[in-house]
Amino acid sequence: MSKNEGNLDKDLIRELASLLEETGLTEIEIEIEGRRVRVARGVNLTTTLTTTGNNGVPEHREHKSRSAEPEEVSVHPGTVTSPMVGTAYRSAEPGAPPFVEVGTRVAAGQTLLIIEAMKTMNQIPSPKAGTVIAILIEDGQPVEYGEPLVVIEQR
Amino acid sequence: MFDKILIANRGEIALRIERACKELGVATVAVHSTADAHAMHVRLADESVCIGAPPAKDSYLNIPAIVAACEITGADAVHPGYGFLAENARFAEILEEHKIAFIGPTAEHVRLMGDKIQAKETVSALGIPVVPGSDGPVRNFEEAKAVAAQIGYPIMVKAAAGGGGRGMKLAHFENELEPALRTARNEARAAFGNDTVYLEKYLTHPRHIEVQVVADGKGNAIHLGERDCSLQRRHQKLWEEAPSPALNDDERLRIGDIVATAMRKLKYRGLGTVEFLYENGEFFFIEMNTRLQVEHTVTEMVTGLDLVIEQIRIAAGAPLSLRQEEVRFNGHAIECRINAENPHTFRPSPGTITHFHPPGGLGVRVDSGAYAGYTIPPYYDSLIGKLIVHARTRNECLMRLKRALGEFVVDGIETTIPLFTSLISEPDIVDGNYDIHWLEDHLAPKTERAE
Repeated sequence: MSKNEGNLDKDLIRELASLLEETGLTEIEIEIEGRRVRVARGVNLTTTLTTTGNNGVPEHREHKSRSAEPEEVSVHPGTVTSPMVGTAYRSAEPGAPPFVEVGTRVAAGQTLLIIEAMKTMNQIPSPKAGTVIAILIEDGQPVEYGEPLVVIEQR
Repeated sequence: MFDKILIANRGEIALRIERACKELGVATVAVHSTADAHAMHVRLADESVCIGAPPAKDSYLNIPAIVAACEITGADAVHPGYGFLAENARFAEILEEHKIAFIGPTAEHVRLMGDKIQAKETVSALGIPVVPGSDGPVRNFEEAKAVAAQIGYPIMVKAAAGGGGRGMKLAHFENELEPALRTARNEARAAFGNDTVYLEKYLTHPRHIEVQVVADGKGNAIHLGERDCSLQRRHQKLWEEAPSPALNDDERLRIGDIVATAMRKLKYRGLGTVEFLYENGEFFFIEMNTRLQVEHTVTEMVTGLDLVIEQIRIAAGAPLSLRQEEVRFNGHAIECRINAENPHTFRPSPGTITHFHPPGGLGVRVDSGAYAGYTIPPYYDSLIGKLIVHARTRNECLMRLKRALGEFVVDGIETTIPLFTSLISEPDIVDGNYDIHWLEDHLAPKTERAE
């Protein structure tokens, strides 16, 4: 779900995140036209974004969630996107351990998370065997169709 | 009033509904397919949710995805716009089950008017004139001859199981009735395995005139006059105007009163349009649309009433904002549908709009989600905007339309603008002298040349 307020460039962040993976660095920070983006990696992959200036003429409030564009979804070939609109949960019930954590080795078909839509729980299976290298949603977060959820790297 | 309305549609009508919501102070949620991520209705909404892949069945017709989008955004009402799920009774019921308001009539009325035979029987019982016919199957020539003599020629023989023009035969005079009956029976038996036929009066040069109603669901209803939508191509309306050049005040008030009275008896709720064929001073019911229509704008221009605001207020339980005697008709309005189509062949012309300059000035309104740089996706209809002009008289309106069309720049794709520019100089259009066949007859030689 996107609120048309911020100026979140998910593509950029995703690109930086995969660069982080590739290089083995723990942090990258860049500044372009007054917008600073820092991507850091600890136990979990986290991203922060700061807008330092509003440069330019009044503009249409650009819809920044480009997650839905099929060609833009998978910066990483192992990105699992949401097949539906709903609320994502990382565990089977409140208090239960999460289905997966970053670093969990998963088999093809293993449940990564569940998405609740119209009061039904839909299990989202891993499309392939591999290791979870990023979890892009938080427990209880609303998700759109096509929104990246988890990144699985084939080992 | 609602807190947050989810708009289950796209394009110019999604934008139109957002405008009404904003004036009511209600938050808006746009839903969209992946193909519409950059559409104007998405950009201007307070929130947006991507609900599926480009094909409409995966997104704009995807009921579970739309209900889920309501759940994650907390929307308490859904406006369906026109097309897509606007006349889907099941959708209205599902929303109700989820305690989400459907901005439209009851599911029961949507279903009733969706069944063309039931609709005709119902409105006839409510006092609305229908096309005279045999009221059921005719068994033999003698029976057909008696019915035809009563309702008058020309007579159309129609297969009860028919559709798509098959099993339909026209008899201009009595001597053509027997062969028409026989051919229609044979065709119907071959095509549908059922040779039941019925008779209906055939109108040779009707106009399409429709009456707008607004009702509160509690037995109050008013009419907002008529729209003349006779300029059509393949049953697609291209030019609509209010008032109709063919009606006088008496006829307008008479048919308006008949329709409003019927809607009071039905306890109809929300906006509705009762469509008629009109010939020689008589009206014949075609169907009732239980939704906001594309051409609602011309009614808004001549009455000064915002129909979408009215529709939302009624859905929220408010009474009608005016009484019948407070409705004033002011001047004349014409709407032209700007489609991304070749103006001669009507072939769709998707692509990217390189320049977009909508006309302006007094009495000019453009409802459109298009902008320079906008790429028209190939998955949906070709309507990219509506040009609506309003003036004190029909003549002034035509001059203003001509001026506005001349200002309208849409580069990069083909549009129907040149068609409208050529229509304004046609004497029949200037005189308001056209029926539902006029446009196709006028285009026939040109279309052949262009193809």
